[in-house]
Amino acid sequence: MTENNHKEFEIRITPSSTSSLFNDDVEHQILSPLSCLREYGTYWLLEFDLPLVNKKDIKITSDENSISIEAKLKETYFEEKFDKKTEFEYFKKTITLLGKIDSKKISAKFEKGRLEIIIPKTISSHKIIIK
Amino acid sequence: MKVSKRISQENILIVGFPSNGLIGTFAISYLIHALDMRQIEELDHPDLSPTLFVEDGEIIAPIRIYKKNNIFAIISDLPFDSYLAYDFAELALQYCKKNNIQKIIIVSGMETINKDSNTPQIYGLVTHQSLEETLYINQISKFLTGSIFGTDAAVISVFRKSKIPTLILYAECHPFFPDPEASIIAIVTLAKVLNIKIDTTDIQKKMEHLRIQRRNLMDETIRTLQQQKIENKSTKIPHIYR
Repeated sequence: MTENNHKEFEIRITPSSTSSLFNDDVEHQILSPLSCLREYGTYWLLEFDLPLVNKKDIKITSDENSISIEAKLKETYFEEKFDKKTEFEYFKKTITLLGKIDSKKISAKFEKGRLEIIIPKTISSHKIIIK
Repeated sequence: MKVSKRISQENILIVGFPSNGLIGTFAISYLIHALDMRQIEELDHPDLSPTLFVEDGEIIAPIRIYKKNNIFAIISDLPFDSYLAYDFAELALQYCKKNNIQKIIIVSGMETINKDSNTPQIYGLVTHQSLEETLYINQISKFLTGSIFGTDAAVISVFRKSKIPTLILYAECHPFFPDPEASIIAIVTLAKVLNIKIDTTDIQKKMEHLRIQRRNLMDETIRTLQQQKIENKSTKIPHIYR
């Protein structure tokens, strides 16, 4: 277990309008990772920022129209606010997509603590006749 | 920490605010820390969301000015949109005139162009011919083609109309995630330009923690930058022509 209180360098920025614990599940020690979804011609690229995580500890699941990730941290992450120390052990998040997902065609890559999931678009189109 | 420096005569202002990958915020904060710069002033604006931070019982404003010898630093811990960015740049410019600043350096982030490269690259952009040599001497690739939007564009627009030459250092980064790794490249380049030596061991050790700690600032920055995109779209382009 490593404590996150290096005194040598502390950036003097504090999250402004919301607490950094705002989206986190303190009770279950779960952090909400940053994610972004970008649309390309034939696929969606879904990315998660997962620092302090090893590839083997990531679990990705999908259902009809959503992707969920869960990852165990390689060390306990601490946050301290008003002298109260909070511990976190996991990252967890579910992203719902517009449209159906073909789970068999999804691929993923994990590099430098960033998870990239490529989700091919399912094409179900009808030919329209021009009169 | 080892910090050695050669004192140059000209007064230089370095500027960082939340943008892509939080590069400017990380880089300028670290430099303030590494050089042990002293806070000398605060910048205030009536349209800025009223925010104060408290650290060890001390009240801190979100936009602050630091100084050490001939180096001045302006850092913002609050993201702002392009409308406020014009005012921010004007205030910074007034400060430069008052303090005889002869050069401005902005540190920011741009989305990675070469996705196959493992090391983020840094690009430089100058507002005045006199700084071209700085790019050449420090082997900084020139930002040749591309577009700059929003807050960065507003700040650069104000500075390029002034007589004070400005160098903009763009580190390739992930635009939507805090990117301390790319910030280190910016710190090293900035140190070269300022002719000082900075040990980046501290920030290297804390990279993964910083990425977790700064999730909310990154999130707020994206929201601010995207909000101005939406506002621009809805007000400037009539739907009938789209």
